[in-house]
Amino acid sequence: MDATQLLKGVLDVAVLAVVEGEDGYGYDVVRRLRAAGLEEVGDASVYGTLRRLYSAGALTSYVVPSEEGPHRKYYGITPQGRSMLEVQRKVWAEFSTTMNRLLFEEGAA
Amino acid sequence: MTPTIAPQIASFAAAVRDALADLPDEERDELTEGLEADLSEAYAEDLTNTLPDPVEYATELRQAAGLPVREAPKPSVFAGLAEGWQRTRGDVLAALRRNPMLVSLLDFAAALRPVWWVARAWVATWLVSVFFGSEDGFLPAGPGWFLLLAVAVVVSVQWGRGLWRFPGLPTLIVLGNIVALVAILPVVAYARGYSGAHDDYGAGFGDGVDAAQIDGLAFDGAALENVFAYDADGNLLRNVQLFDVDGNRLAPTRMAEETQWELQPATLETGEQVFNVFPLSATRMTWDDGGGELIPDPNPDPDKVRAFQDGPFVKVPALQKVSGSND
Repeated sequence: MDATQLLKGVLDVAVLAVVEGEDGYGYDVVRRLRAAGLEEVGDASVYGTLRRLYSAGALTSYVVPSEEGPHRKYYGITPQGRSMLEVQRKVWAEFSTTMNRLLFEEGAA
Repeated sequence: MTPTIAPQIASFAAAVRDALADLPDEERDELTEGLEADLSEAYAEDLTNTLPDPVEYATELRQAAGLPVREAPKPSVFAGLAEGWQRTRGDVLAALRRNPMLVSLLDFAAALRPVWWVARAWVATWLVSVFFGSEDGFLPAGPGWFLLLAVAVVVSVQWGRGLWRFPGLPTLIVLGNIVALVAILPVVAYARGYSGAHDDYGAGFGDGVDAAQIDGLAFDGAALENVFAYDADGNLLRNVQLFDVDGNRLAPTRMAEETQWELQPATLETGEQVFNVFPLSATRMTWDDGGGELIPDPNPDPDKVRAFQDGPFVKVPALQKVSGSND
């Protein structure tokens, strides 16, 4: 199975998770995701996801002017984003438990 | 503040914005704000990175942002056609794939694709050869056309396998497939008609041969007028009934036009009149130019009449006597 297909379904929660602790700008988020092991994540997908989460109210954003380069647009998590992340964590935990049992435990029904 | 942006990044970002031009300005600005900064950093970090296709990049951006996918601006009618076809085909296949029965059908059809690759090469070659008037039924006439057919098949199959690609080829293939699809039935019908003409010719020839066949006893291709049987002593036998192995009566043709003899039948004890009793009696006929029909010859050649009645020989050599087998 192609991991990029799986990634599409969980990119929202992955992005929320990496900005939960610290605000980040677009490429910063990409880099954190890749550092966490999601090496195949496409940067445009991440930027689009950030934008969608912002529209949904899960993220806040602000522009930081840069002295030596173009502006950077930072995203931070909102309370709504945090509660969304909590729900998604539970969903993921249950889902991954189910899948692990299905895939790796013998005699699973 | 003097932001420095590498020119290729700036033009890439501009191309991405162009590809998002259908969105409201505000939406587009929100989506691409900071793009240059992100790209600059990304490509500064890894200089081996090459910038992707800006349109694909914009599509990915848009999809991830949950925005409607733009109807791609069509570079040309034909390219749009190819794209539209690919997309429609993709949609249809995806829809069909949901039905397991259709999936096996599709897989079966997919296995037949090479047949189509060959078929379209054949149609293309045929169309070109008919343009030059060199078609001959289903196959082009002449070794040159066969060579062209072979080349067309190789190219078609390679394209079908996704090899030997060049820009604009997908459009060419879609157009070519349409032409081949539209043309294949008429071409097959025409080619069949062409071979059909050959068949008609053959049938006519056969009819002619049949017409030339002699309806009755023949020897070396010529109709027999009469048959004379001689016994072991070499004397002519009269009233000999002849049959073939199936019990059919062996009789000469009764078409007097062929032999100029009007045969007289023999009468069996059953009352049946038959023509397999040899030598047959006959009347010498001649063609009456005035009446346009055969009439009894008023002055028949007496030698011919005698030969017809009494055989070509009065007596033929007897068979060698074999001791102990006295008749």
